This record gives sequence, C-alpha cells and structure tokens, in this order.
Amino acid sequence: MSEPTQQQHPNEEQPEDQEMDEGLDLEKIKLLPGATDDGTAASFQIIDEDHTLGNALRYIIMKNPNVEFCGYSIPHPSEAKLNIRIQTYGDITAVQALHQGLDDLIKVCTHVEEEFSSKITQRDYSTEEP
Amino acid sequence: MSREGFVPPTTANLGNAASGIQSLKNYGVKYVCAQCAVNFSLSPKEPVRCKECGHRVLYKARTKRMVQFEAR
Amino acid sequence: MSNIVGIEHDRVTNTVSTDFPGYSIEANNEFDIEEFKKKFQINISYITERTANFDLIGIDTSIANAFRRIMIAEVPSVAAEHVYVFNNTSVIQDEVLAHRIGLIPLKVDPDTLTWVDQTVDEKDRFTDDNTIVLSLDVVCTKNPNAVPGDNRAENLYRNSNVYAKDLKFEPQGRQTETFEKNPVVPCDPNILLAKLRPGQEISLRVHCILGIGSDHAKFSPVSTASYRLLPVIDILKPIAGSDALEFQKCFPSGVIDIKENGEAFVKDARKDTVSREVLRHEKFNGKVKLGRQRDHFIFNVESTGAMPPEEIFFKSVRVLRNKAEYLRNCPIGNLN
Repeated sequence: MSEPTQQQHPNEEQPEDQEMDEGLDLEKIKLLPGATDDGTAASFQIIDEDHTLGNALRYIIMKNPNVEFCGYSIPHPSEAKLNIRIQTYGDITAVQALHQGLDDLIKVCTHVEEEFSSKITQRDYSTEEP
Repeated sequence: MSREGFVPPTTANLGNAASGIQSLKNYGVKYVCAQCAVNFSLSPKEPVRCKECGHRVLYKARTKRMVQFEAR
Repeated sequence: MSNIVGIEHDRVTNTVSTDFPGYSIEANNEFDIEEFKKKFQINISYITERTANFDLIGIDTSIANAFRRIMIAEVPSVAAEHVYVFNNTSVIQDEVLAHRIGLIPLKVDPDTLTWVDQTVDEKDRFTDDNTIVLSLDVVCTKNPNAVPGDNRAENLYRNSNVYAKDLKFEPQGRQTETFEKNPVVPCDPNILLAKLRPGQEISLRVHCILGIGSDHAKFSPVSTASYRLLPVIDILKPIAGSDALEFQKCFPSGVIDIKENGEAFVKDARKDTVSREVLRHEKFNGKVKLGRQRDHFIFNVESTGAMPPEEIFFKSVRVLRNKAEYLRNCPIGNLN
C-alpha cells in the first residue's frame, strides 16, 4: 500500500532516476568491502534487482571459463538489494567478468528476440487452441 | 423544546416560507427518509419528521464533496 | 551429464544444470554465442488472441524463468489508479468500487502513454500524455415498460447492473486524434461492477496510468504466464497386450499409442501432464522411466487483453535486455 514518492522503474527505455547532471546513476551498483587488491575477487551490491536478473546473470557469468566462483544472494526479501560475488582464476578482474557476463546476456536476449520475431513472421502456427 | 409539536409559521417568516426561499444556505441540509427514501431538506428548528410519510428515522444524505480513492 | 530430470515416485533426481566449464572433462561449456545460436530453437504451437503456447529449446532455466518473471511483474500496462467519486449512493462502498475498477483490464497499448512523473506537483502531474480519463455516470430508475410477472431486476429496473462497458472514455487534449481509431474500452465489457436499485446512482471519474505488476497486480498484462518442461517417457521393456491398454490408461489420451503387434509406444509425450499414475502400479515397475527435459520449456502466456500474448513475450525479452544494458553502463561506486 505504501509507495515511495519516487517510484523506480528500472526497466524503462530512458532511465529516469539519473539525477546527476552527467546522467549517471551512482546508486545502482556498488562495490562491497571484501575485494582483493588485484580485483580478481569482488562482491557487488545492485539495488532494485531481484532473482530475475540475479539468477540469469549468475548463470551467464559462471559459463565464463576464467570465473572460479559466482554466486548471488538477496540479503533480505523486504529490501530490493542483490549481492553478487565473483572470483576469477586471475586472468581477468571481477569487474571484467561482470561486464562480460552482462554483454553475453545482452547477446542472448537479442538472439532470442530475433529468433522469436522470425518465427512469428513465418506464421506457420495455428491460431486456434487445440 | 417540543420536538413533536407543529409550530405554525409566524407572520414574519410566512412570506419566506411560502415562497420557498431559504434565508441562509446552511439550513439546506439534505436528509433521506428511512421508509420512503424521499430526499428533502430540513432546517435546524424544524421537527425531525419525513415530509411525506411522517417517519421519524432520517439518514443524512451523502456529501456533495468529491472523494478521491486509490484503486488498490 | 544427461539433461533429463528424473522423476521417481517419491523424488526428482538430476535437477541441477551442469553446463558450466570445468564440470566434465569432455564438454567445454564455455559461453559461446554461436554455440547458443546453434542449439537454441523456438517452436510456436499456437497463438490465439489471448493465449500463446510456444517452446523454447536449448536455453537455461535461469533465463527462461527470468522471462516468465518479467512477463508477470515488469512489463508495463495501463490500469485505473485514481478514482474521484462525486456521488455513490449504491450499496457498494466507494473503496470497494474503486478497487474493482482498478482491476478491470483496459484495451490500451501501453506504448501510447508515458510514465507519470511523481516528482511533479499533483495538479500538473496528469497530462494527456500519461493519463487516460474514464467516467462512469449511471442512475438506476424503475422500468415503466416492465413485463408483468417477470421479477428479474433486468426487467423491473433500468441500469440495475453496472458493467465495465459503462465506463466511458473521455479523450483529453491530443487524445481525440491519437485514440480516434482505437478508443479506450475494457478488454472484457461484461464485467459486473455494481448492482443498483431505483434512486441509487454512481458518478465518478477515473485516471488510468502506466504501471508494472510488481507494484500492483492490476498492472500485470498477463492473467498468468507459466512454463513446464517437456516430459520424457522411456519404455525400457516392451509392454504388450492387455498390459499395454492399462499402460495407455495411465496417461492422458494421445500420449501412448499401441502398435499393430500390441506393443505400447510413446506417441506424443508433450501432451502428458506427468501425473506419475504409472508409478503407482507395481506391474510397470522397472519397465518405464519418467523424466523431464531440462532445457525444453513449454511456455503458456495468457494475456488479459491489452496486448497480444506474443507481444508480451517480446517485451519481456526487451526488458531483460534493457536491464542488462542499463547495468552495463552504470559506474560502480563504493559503499560508504
């Protein structure tokens, strides 16, 4: 029932909550303490995200052969915060692994969209329920 | 104060009462009869009775003010 | 490792996906977009006006689930938010009526509206860009042409039932042109909102805005979106004769068929509901193995009517991509 006066819509085409003049959202993702000095292991906290992005991102990052460990947790269900920890074997930093994972997720989504779109235009499906 | 008794209008107020002019807007409080559901107005001095059927249980009519709701 | 989830009579086995690099020596499961493109397939079974049933093959659970969650909770749609009641002398309380109006699905393409900026002052907040105004004005009166003997309310009174179709669209500003071809109507016109008797009336205005399902369920564009995994039935030892007929009865019709020599075979495992009825019969112990294919998802999307179901799936994929893109471009700060 209670809504915050500033509603967050993280899925919009034009991100609205970029209040700074540079147009950057400084709150979205933060580095948590517990990172190694060389950056090969780090934890990140992402706000306003949940299992939807967390599990998908974890899966894609784990498929990176340089990643030793990747896991996510939601510290408390009442708060929309997502903690994700990435540990690599040393060849790349955790931030690089995260960015790589996000890029790969974007590629997957783009391909799914294209494939679905082409299947729809092919129109060789029934328009009646069996 | 005799709530029940009919008070005939004095010659001073007769003109106003006959022509139906309400001297002050405040006295136009609307009520609904419980029995015959007739809408009518009452002023403070009037006896509390329905104008048509004489029933004595009256409900106050719903306010004319707009009320806002969240559809949640 | 096999990608089949085993189904026993009291447990499921082999549920965890194993396509990670380093899991097994032979398979290199490194993420490769070309490998993914080769394995990935979409088959559409049927798409009606309100339902879509299609298969996603070769994708992992986490991503399929992400699509499902987004379809339910994060695809934006339009619903009533503010109800301004001028008069309501019906027996339905104002707030109950407002709640019911909020739940009515509206046939509005969400792309035609923008998000309401909550930071703007209340009197300037609702513009013709981000709000749809509906009005409901109905008075119940006695029907002078009532058929004697018929005591139904529809006969005795006029406007005794208030339906969703009684909500009138009031185009504001530019909306008279933009909504000329497709005025705003409820997707299902015959939703009963309230019942009235003579003398009772309802007069209200409704502001409808864009929202997402995670905020309130009225904004969810699907009545539901779900997926199931493709069932797999393995007949290990041949089953013939009267046993085959009994075997066929353990599954929904169309799943098992019988060959000419009396042997049972699996005709269409997709129709199976995996009730595991066959595991209850001792005579089939060891002859059949049930399972589900871990990377074959049969999606069923039921739209409420605002958007066609395939568009909802499109939007959910787009939303997931936007989430990833947004996060990709965000600077990583420090927790202070």
